[in-house]
Amino acid sequence: MTLLEFASGPGLQWALWIFVFGVVWRLIGALFLLARKDLSKPRRHNSVAAGLGAIWSRSTPAHAFEKRILFQHVTGYAWHFALFISVLFFAPHILFFESVLGFGWPHLPNTIVMVTAIIATAVLITLLIRRATHPVQRFISNADDYISIVVVLIPLVTGILAFAHVGGRYETLLALHLLSVEVMLIWFPFGKLMHAIMTMPARYQAGTAFGRRGVKA
Amino acid sequence: MSDLDAIPVSAEVTTGNVEPLLHEIRHALKRLAGGEDGTVIDLQRLPLAPGEEQRIEAVLGEGEVRAEINALGPTLVQETAYPGVWLITHRNAEESVIARFIEVTDMPELLKSQRADIESGINKLESELADSTKKN
Amino acid sequence: MRKDQTLGEYLQSQGVSRRGFLKFCSATASLMALPPSAVAQVAEALATARRPSVIWLSFQECTGCTESLTRSHAPTVESLIFDAISLDYHHTLQAASGHGAEAAREAAMEENEGEYILVVDGSIPVGNKAYSTIAGISNYDMLVEAASKAFAIVAVGTCAAFGGIPHANPNPTGAVSVSDIVTGKPIINVSGCPPIPVVITGVLAHFLTFGTIPELDAQGRPAAFFGQNIHDRCYRRPFYERGQFAETFDDEGARKGWCLYKLGCKGPTTYNACATLKWNAGTSFPIQSGHGCIGCSEPNFWDKGSFYNPISAGMWGSRDALLGAAAAGAALGVGSAIAARARKKKAQAAEEA
Ligand code: SF4
Repeated sequence: MTLLEFASGPGLQWALWIFVFGVVWRLIGALFLLARKDLSKPRRHNSVAAGLGAIWSRSTPAHAFEKRILFQHVTGYAWHFALFISVLFFAPHILFFESVLGFGWPHLPNTIVMVTAIIATAVLITLLIRRATHPVQRFISNADDYISIVVVLIPLVTGILAFAHVGGRYETLLALHLLSVEVMLIWFPFGKLMHAIMTMPARYQAGTAFGRRGVKA
Repeated sequence: MSDLDAIPVSAEVTTGNVEPLLHEIRHALKRLAGGEDGTVIDLQRLPLAPGEEQRIEAVLGEGEVRAEINALGPTLVQETAYPGVWLITHRNAEESVIARFIEVTDMPELLKSQRADIESGINKLESELADSTKKN
Repeated sequence: MRKDQTLGEYLQSQGVSRRGFLKFCSATASLMALPPSAVAQVAEALATARRPSVIWLSFQECTGCTESLTRSHAPTVESLIFDAISLDYHHTLQAASGHGAEAAREAAMEENEGEYILVVDGSIPVGNKAYSTIAGISNYDMLVEAASKAFAIVAVGTCAAFGGIPHANPNPTGAVSVSDIVTGKPIINVSGCPPIPVVITGVLAHFLTFGTIPELDAQGRPAAFFGQNIHDRCYRRPFYERGQFAETFDDEGARKGWCLYKLGCKGPTTYNACATLKWNAGTSFPIQSGHGCIGCSEPNFWDKGSFYNPISAGMWGSRDALLGAAAAGAALGVGSAIAARARKKKAQAAEEA
């Protein structure tokens, strides 16, 4: 079995199984936390508005900190946006999603995706360096942060190399790209990458809980 | 459908290889004009889209010299509209193309009489003469 | 051609002029994927070359490789190459048969020991050696013996090079490639199902001209022909870059000649010379004719999923298996939540007590 055969066969299968298993496990666990009854008397009834309000307020910089966190804020959005475009609108990726999900969607030309992929990589490397050098960021970072960044960074780099055919034969680069994605999928449910699924519901939940107590989230 | 030609297949495909080839020819011509050696380009080694070879031919056009060599099947030596650029098409006895070259040179080597052939020609002529003197 | 004649002498005796010889050399150099500047070198080498003896063995195969070879598009040049080599045994092409033919093979092997080129097409069954025999001799035994006395071995076709279709799952005959059996001899893999005919003759021409093994890639294939993948030389590549894909075999994109990636083209992972040398006298090749590359010159091409599955789709298994993983995750999630609650209740009860 060649590296590519392993990466696109059993490797991919196991990674997907572990990914789905882990994500569902953690989600169900989190949902059960909600099932507890809150016995207090609600101060405010419109919890949906409070939840949505929290999603919005936490997605924009708080006025008081605006200047201090501007860099973080802009790079954060740039990174996520560029990543989404690269992952979701590259034609070969869509073919993969289509084979798993059963439906596809329109793609962007390769050149555009290449630009976003390079932007995403550059921003992520900048953020990684900043995390490792900025005293406060360093202090609040643990191994999970670094692992999560690296397992996302490697697929990006191998993907760009495979696309550009530099640094090795295409099959090898493609196999490395797949393997690195598989590592990322396996890590995903158990580390901070899970935020991709948890963030918005968590903000919503925090908003409703705070709203019920009449606290601004 | 019985008639394949009835299926509309358009071929406005380009590999982008034609322009670089023409530039290569231009550079080769400049080198030749500057007294350097000629250049040979093997057309079968270039990835070309359908129709691109014809495009190259059309761009190069036809010049003053057109010669046919009969050796192991016909070979057409055509000077293009750009003096010094020759298109050489080797065919086999069954007339199918076996190799195609663009040669940038004063005169393709193959057009010259070859030393070995000249020598065997001399032999042939001499024996012919010997025969005829014997007869007389 | 007499054995002691050089190729130059032979051609001269056939009335081929020096011009004809030079033409032959240009075509041969082109055939070997050598740069045109090498023609003089080729001419010099060919003029003094002596004919190598070739023994061609066909094992578990469909004869497609031989068919391909006999339809190669440069008959004059190729037949000269074949005149120039001494094809001492090829049981499909030779007139002799039966014991006479086998005797000729034995004789050629004795006479040219250590010098002949052994060409093999077809895979070799080792599950039960009796699955394929010639004159009562199993393919395995014949290969081992012939290879031990050869100068080099050319494995023609994907079956001989990598096991090919006979080797595909479930491989009922236990078919293997030449290199699975023969060790200690140079093996040149000319893969393809079938290989491009001029690639076969190109390799023979290389032997004839230089008497050496051509430069090989990681899979043992001549780098001159297998050095680049189809995708890198494909004329539809600009469409790939622009993201213009045919979605079905008869849609607008297919008619416009767009990239066939979505229809399963294996060009990006396949190494062969189809995109430049093309097939049928240089007329076309599969992608030009509107069908994606099936990757026939790569090992295990038959077992890599459907020819019509895009490369990036991967073989990720089934949706049911994924649902199974989801169910297992859900069960574990519910289980651990309940367990956590039970622990909490117990702790509370203990506190109250
Ligand atoms: S048709 Fe195949 S080889 Fe050609 S560009 Fe598309 S994917 Fe690559």
